[in-house]
Amino acid sequence: MSDSQEIIPTPESSKPLVSLPTTKVARAARFAKTGLKVGANYVKHYARRSVGAESTTENLHAANAAELYGALSEMKGSVLKVAQMMAMEKNILPSAYADQFAQAQYQTPPLSGPLVIKVFRDTLGRSPYELFDEFDINARQAASIGQVHFARKDGKALAVKVQYPGVADSIRSDIRLVKPIALRVLGLSESQVRPYLEEVETRLLEETDYKLELRRGTEIADRSAELPHLEFARYYPEYSSTRILTMDWLPGQHLKEFLATNPSQAVRNQLGQALWDFYAFQIHTLRQVHADPHPGNFLLRADNGGTLGVLDFGCVKDIPAEFYEQFFALLEPGVLTDEVRLATLLTALEVLRPDDPAAQRDLYLRTIKASLELVAQPFQQPSFDFGNEAYIQSLYALGDDLMQQPELRQQREPRGSRHFIYVNRTYVGLYALLSELKAEVRTEMPFLAEAKL
Amino acid sequence: MEKERIKQAYLDYVLRKSAPPASVFKLTQKLGIPEAEFYRYYATFDAIDRDIWADFGRQARERAALEPVWNEYGSRERLLAFYFTLLEILKQNRSYALQSLRRSMPKVPGFTPRVLDDFRQDFEVFAEDLLREGRRTEEVASRPLVQEQYPRAFWQQILFVLGFFAKDDSLNFERTDAAIEKAVTLSFDLVGRNSLDSALDLARFLLHRR
Repeated sequence: MSDSQEIIPTPESSKPLVSLPTTKVARAARFAKTGLKVGANYVKHYARRSVGAESTTENLHAANAAELYGALSEMKGSVLKVAQMMAMEKNILPSAYADQFAQAQYQTPPLSGPLVIKVFRDTLGRSPYELFDEFDINARQAASIGQVHFARKDGKALAVKVQYPGVADSIRSDIRLVKPIALRVLGLSESQVRPYLEEVETRLLEETDYKLELRRGTEIADRSAELPHLEFARYYPEYSSTRILTMDWLPGQHLKEFLATNPSQAVRNQLGQALWDFYAFQIHTLRQVHADPHPGNFLLRADNGGTLGVLDFGCVKDIPAEFYEQFFALLEPGVLTDEVRLATLLTALEVLRPDDPAAQRDLYLRTIKASLELVAQPFQQPSFDFGNEAYIQSLYALGDDLMQQPELRQQREPRGSRHFIYVNRTYVGLYALLSELKAEVRTEMPFLAEAKL
Repeated sequence: MEKERIKQAYLDYVLRKSAPPASVFKLTQKLGIPEAEFYRYYATFDAIDRDIWADFGRQARERAALEPVWNEYGSRERLLAFYFTLLEILKQNRSYALQSLRRSMPKVPGFTPRVLDDFRQDFEVFAEDLLREGRRTEEVASRPLVQEQYPRAFWQQILFVLGFFAKDDSLNFERTDAAIEKAVTLSFDLVGRNSLDSALDLARFLLHRR
């Protein structure tokens, strides 16, 4: 077992966090403060503007993002999860927010050793030293609602994920706290986001159930076993509980470190292909998808021309058949030019409503068409080069543009089926990973021609 | 051992009847021993309560020290380990713990319930040891005069933790875990070298210059 992939917390990150607000009131207070500061940043921005000074929106976003991240990182757990999620939505979130939030994927202060032992005693009845031959009390890695320890049993290297106490308990109230701030920052209205928030809450709560993760992880890994160049960690139910998850310690590096080793184009292509095929298989065959494709969940190495380790099945989205058919019908070639069919599909997907005024309907149609033209590109050719900077830039720019459009910003209600959230997030994450990899991938989907609505 | 039998019988009684026996005689009769035998070990029922609490503390310290990593722990982790182990023990005896605390709750908040007297003595010795060790490893800043008050400050912390535990209604008392983690971290940040020492250092320097 090589130690190359070890992520050892830096001295800063292992420094205990002093001011973790505990009570709901304290948390609320922290958020209220952030809200004020975000407001103040806007005021500063417009004040500077009005005296003709150079104050770009970029500056404003950066200031707000730093503020918000400061608040969020003080409240580990579910809030961080929401932050991560928003970070994934690069196309929704201006890049400054995304950059700040992306940090959240790597930085969380660890639990103390005694508390880790207590979680073991509470849920498995024994201390980790009794369970394993070797156990490193210092966390190797932070996960958003827990941390990862290294252990060894019968010569096997294991990764042991330990969940922070009380995470499941605080998720509901945290979402209520994050909601107003997130809505303000994203410029959305509060009244009609309920189905979406419910969807997110369900996923977040599922993520705290390590037993569920074990079951789903095992299932997806078993069913995906035939796919080449993929590697899954085996889970160990006998060393797992609702708050502890033990699996194989996979070798490999996270994307950033791996790219720093300058892998060849062939290796990057193979890894990209493995990733693409894995997602295609989950979405089109399993109809159940690992909906958390952020860089922290994959380990890469150059063995056998590129091998991809998949971690963390905490966030799994089941794709309902009806949604699946409507969604992928949108990506079929020719749909974009067939206005009637496009409108029918979008109505079925709750993006358009029969009672929309004509002007609004046109606006939505135009916007969706522009987005789809970009998003569907990889699907409509036999192979696609995700190393194409211009494509990825225009994809991100699209999100920024949409945010800037005054007509769209006035639409104070989000549209579309709630299943979009995680399916979208999956694709955004997948595209982001593939573009970081600069991989050229065979994207053709033979089934598309067969899929009929 | 007779002492253990008396203690156990008393504990069972209190748990079943939610109150101490009406008299020592009642208890010794049940045990089938002469009343005088009781007084060889305890003067009153209160003394048994104090002894049981001292046992909780002793068990927590011993069990925490059994953990193989104990020797690698710094003072902060040792205190945490003690608290978490104590919590485990109290969880198994929560009904008794809450009852006995309630019975001897002082009128003035912040004062120590009498039932914790023996527990407190042991704890302060333990805390003093931890702090001395911490000063040796420089985990704890050396502050003559002030530091004599530390064990009492840590005693207030344990009262806070017990109070939190008594009111905690989260599943498996997970919020108490979090409270302990945060309280101990804060306390060790306070007793460790921090900006206060630098401020004092500067003040001393300015005074000496005159």
